[in-house]
Order: sequence, then structure tokens, then C-alpha cells
Amino acid sequence: MIETKNLTKTFDNFTAVDSLDLKIETGEFFGLLGPNGAGKTTTISLLSTLLLPTKGEILIDGQKLTRNRPDLKRKISVITQEYSMRQDMNMDEIMEYQGRLYFMSRKEIKRRTEELLEFCDLIKFRKRTVRKLSGGMKRKLMVCRALLTDPEILLLDEPTAGMDALSRRQMWNLLRKLNGKNLTILLTTHYMEEAQNLCSRVALMDHGRLEEVSTPSALINSLGNYTVDEFSGDETKSHYFHTREEAIAYLSGLSGQASLRETTLEDVFVERAGRHLMPS
Amino acid sequence: MGIITILWEKWVEFRRDFYKITLAAMIAPLMYLVVFGMGIQTISHGEPYLNFLIPGVVSLTTMNGSFNAIAQNLNVQRLYEKAFDQVMISPTPLWQFIAGQIIGGSLRGFYAGGVILILTIPIDTGLIFNGWSFLIMFLNGAVFSAIGVVVSFLAKNHADVPRFSNYIIMPMAYLCNTFFSTEKLPGILGKFVSALPLSQTSHMIRSISAGEGFQMTGIAVLGAYLIVFTAIASWFIYKKKNL
Repeated sequence: MIETKNLTKTFDNFTAVDSLDLKIETGEFFGLLGPNGAGKTTTISLLSTLLLPTKGEILIDGQKLTRNRPDLKRKISVITQEYSMRQDMNMDEIMEYQGRLYFMSRKEIKRRTEELLEFCDLIKFRKRTVRKLSGGMKRKLMVCRALLTDPEILLLDEPTAGMDALSRRQMWNLLRKLNGKNLTILLTTHYMEEAQNLCSRVALMDHGRLEEVSTPSALINSLGNYTVDEFSGDETKSHYFHTREEAIAYLSGLSGQASLRETTLEDVFVERAGRHLMPS
Repeated sequence: MGIITILWEKWVEFRRDFYKITLAAMIAPLMYLVVFGMGIQTISHGEPYLNFLIPGVVSLTTMNGSFNAIAQNLNVQRLYEKAFDQVMISPTPLWQFIAGQIIGGSLRGFYAGGVILILTIPIDTGLIFNGWSFLIMFLNGAVFSAIGVVVSFLAKNHADVPRFSNYIIMPMAYLCNTFFSTEKLPGILGKFVSALPLSQTSHMIRSISAGEGFQMTGIAVLGAYLIVFTAIASWFIYKKKNL
């Protein structure tokens, strides 16, 4: 279980994460959503000890996480937003370096590397240096690297950024499968469809604060499960309804172009961003 | 053990860039030896100047080899490649990472100094290099690797490392008992420069090469520098909130 208590991070006079109290249960797939600058990446950096908190603490299975706790760090793998890899190493070397950093045996590293590179369709590129890989291949390699060490907690900061639609779907399937094996996953993403499809709970963050924690369906329900998009000139105006009948009744009263669809998490996000998640 | 992991990483790097590393280690020291030792042939303390110069050039090559192997590389890993993040996240104890960097850097300096020694074999100087010389070279490399770790953490961008090298490493290369004795520097400046690690290294290696003994205080001074810079590097990696 991951727990943060009053977690705060300030840079000079800027508070990136403000008194964050969060509890993520073992085996949960949890999404952290918010506009740019909301504090999502800083939270991931704190949870991975890349940054140290200004105030508050992080508990992993009830024990305080610090840079000096290899036993707790062993449980965590992170896929950072940026490509965090030696550019001049090839895939095999990247995997071996990671395995060695996590004190895996060479035999185990070799076995898992074969398995993961094969699974991600990277095996034929294994001797290619990172510098010569495409963005999508680098992302996949980062996933392989993170999974090499068989973590209990996976922190994902925009893991599918830069991936094509097919690779993204493959990644979703993989993450679902991993979560099915009781892996705790914390995901930050800009793709609301991704959060809606994968996460059992999501948290909305803004200005470093936690605005709301709920399930995607509850958030959608709070807005209304049905949306009527009304197109007028350059503008699209969305109206939300709790029942299909209400939505149809509204739609039939419109004279211009309009459409009816199911509300998505993206609608919730856009509405919240429009109301109070916008930078003040 | 984490130290072995870091040494493995250094080995991968060395194996891949073997020719580049070797050539880079040779060029400047060879120029010094050719220009000052062979081109401008002089006598120093009644001996050919080359006999004075070789121990100094070996010392400064060790310093440069170690510092450059760590400072620039680690800085690139931290700021550009972000590969250092994975080390921070991993369960490898961070002191082992620092120790690995220091030993790895020291070996690179030792290699660079060794290459120069091999190149000077055909010159019949009669200089002596023994186990103590190699130990001192290694220790000198360790001090400058530790400085390299600190500099890589202090540097806020890639240009900061060459800047530090220009302000600190380059003056040391010329002043610290390498091309001339620190005794020629006046008053407090001479005393200050004599206390610097490269001066101590050059002095000890030169004494051994001349068949004289050397004072163990020099090794103690290098040891003290190593402890101080390792402690600073450890403070950065364990305590700095925004590394």
C-alpha cells in the first residue's frame, strides 16, 4: 500500500505539491489527473525518491520511504515521462544495467530480458543503441526495463506519450494483465480515455492540491451520463444529462446541428478545468 | 554488490570507446613531453628536464583522466540522459554508487597515466616507477574522481563542467609541481599550491622516480582530500532535496 501524509514539495516560493494525503491500496490501478503543472510529475518524483519532500512523509506498506531504504525501493519501478536511459548503451546493456542495479542474478536478467523483449517485439533490435531507437521503441524498452525487476508497485508518468494507437492499446492490455497479478499501479496521463479504461480510481489534482478522489464512473455520473454537443459556428457547447430521455428531449428542442453521446472522463476533466482547475 | 555494477557500467563504456579514450589520454601529455622535454631541452636540478617533467605529466594525466571520466559523464547522465534517475530509484545503496564512480574514475586515470608511462619506456631516463608510484597514481585518481562526482552534482548545465575544469583543473595542471617546482612560487601562494592534491602526487611520484624515498604525509593528505570530497558527494546524493 502507498500512503502519503501531508506530502508537500516547494521549490523556492512555488508549491508544487501541497499537503497531499493519498492512500492507494495494494493491487489498485490508480490514476492521477490534472492540467499541466498540477503537480503530478512532482508527486511521482517524490514517490520514487528522486525528490525529497519539504514536509510530510511517504509510507510503503506502513514503512517510511527514504533514499536510504533499499528494501522498499526494491518494490518500486518507475517509468518516467522522459527517456531516462544511457543513450550509448544497447537494449541488452540497458536491461543488464537495470538488473544489476536491482541485484538480480545474470541468469535471471538474461531470461527475463529475452522474455520481455520478445513480448514487446523488440528482440530483433536488442543490439541497437538507444540513440538509434524510435520514440515508441524507447518507450517500450522503458516498460521492459521497469518490469524486469518484477516490482510490486509501478509508477507510470505518461507511459504512452509518443506511442502510436496500436502500441498504446498493446500497452493497456499489458498493464491490465499486470494489474490482474496484483501489481499496484499509479498512472499519470493526459489521455483521459486511458484513465477511464484502466483506472479503478482517479484523483484530480490542481495547483499541487488533491481536488477529488473517486471512480471514473462516479465522476462521470456526477456530471451526467449523457452529453449533447451543440455545434454553433466555431463553438461546440456540451450539455450533460443524467438520463437518456432528458438528453433526447433537449436534443429534439434544438434547431441547429447537435449530437448525443455518452459522457466520458475527458468531459469531466474539461468541465473541471474550465471551472476551477484553470491556473488562477 | 553495487560497486561492481558501476564498475561494469564503466567497463562497457571503456570497451566501446577504447580508441577514443586512449587517444584522448595521450595527445596533450605527449605534446607536453615533446615540446617541453624534447623541443626545449634544458637541465633542471642538474638532470635533464625530461626527468623532472615525466612524473609531473604522469600525475596530471591521472588527474585529467579521472576527473574527465566522471564529471562530464555523470553530469550528462544526470541532466541530459536522466539515466542517473534510475540509479537513484534503484535499491543499489547510493554510497556504493559513489564508491563505484570513484574506483571506476580512478582506474581510468590510472590507465591514462599508465599509457604515458608505457610511451616513455623507449626514452632512457632511468626513472623508477614501483608499486608505491602506482598506489599514489590510483589515490590521486580517486581524489579527482570524487571531485568529479561533486562537480557533476553542482553543475546546473553542461557548460558548467568545462568551466570548472578551466578555473580549477587547468591551473592545477600547470602549477602543481608538474612543469616546475612549487618552491618557485612566492610565499603563501607556494604553500597553498603545495598543499593541493596534484602537488602532493607529483612530489611523491617524482621522489620515488629519482630513487629517493617519500613522506607518508603526502598519502595522508591525499587520503584526507578523498574523505572530504567523498563526504560532500554523499551529502549531495543522500540529503539534497532537489538533485
